Amino acid sequence: MRSLIRYTHPRGSLLPAFGFSSPVPWTGLENDIDRWFESTLSDFLSPALENRFPVDLYEDKDHTYVRADLPGVDRQDINVEMVNGYLTIGATRKAKGPEGGESFALSRSVAIPEDVHADKVSAAYENGVLTVTLPKKEEAKPRKVTVEVK
Amino acid sequence: MSRLQNLVSPFARRSPAPDTAEATVRPWFELKETPEAWGLTVYLPGVAKDGLEITAEEGRITVRGRRQWKAPAGWTALYRESPEAAYELSFSHDNTIDVGKIHAELVDGVLRASLPKAEAIKPRKIAVN
Repeated sequence: MRSLIRYTHPRGSLLPAFGFSSPVPWTGLENDIDRWFESTLSDFLSPALENRFPVDLYEDKDHTYVRADLPGVDRQDINVEMVNGYLTIGATRKAKGPEGGESFALSRSVAIPEDVHADKVSAAYENGVLTVTLPKKEEAKPRKVTVEVK
Repeated sequence: MSRLQNLVSPFARRSPAPDTAEATVRPWFELKETPEAWGLTVYLPGVAKDGLEITAEEGRITVRGRRQWKAPAGWTALYRESPEAAYELSFSHDNTIDVGKIHAELVDGVLRASLPKAEAIKPRKIAVN
């Protein structure tokens, strides 16, 4: 947590409408609290510390595709599993450092909208993006059925 | 309180760049210092060498990365999370870096660059007569 550093000269202070000659004692605190919020909240969004990564879901007539942003991961540290209509992508990001390095576990499960052939799922990793291709089962492919109305 | 109104910007990680027409996103990066150089690591998923541009001018280093991949015809996007905008990271080094000796490589969407410190700012011992 960043500490709150008080500035001795408040910037952009809102002078009260009454027209006091000197600003109220807490005007500097307003700016400090705003800055502290901004710095703290931006810390929460560091992708290196999150265990979630962005995924995109696409489909065409025959396949469902899942793309995941996973930069800086070795291929053998990625595992893709298909269980009960959920695709789970797991990866371990290893950071090499002089003190031995650290590893972060990333994981995300995506619900696959259509029935797929789980044994025919394939995946490719290029430029830090993992693309998983899931072939749809025959009955999931769009088929026009004409219904006769009696 | 005006700073609280800017709450959106840390979430979107967009850099305010009124001079460029294109919207850009600031990628995650890390700067580590060693006595000889700065080590820069930038995560640029989806960016290959031909989509990457590193420029150094007037004491400023700018890294721009653009994803080359486009969804093939016939693909429908059901759900999108990855940013469509180009990545841009810019910082000023005020001539503390020897620009001619920068060494960078892009592997699997990660840019790792070594930015050697300029001779003038390295600590040196001064002999006293």
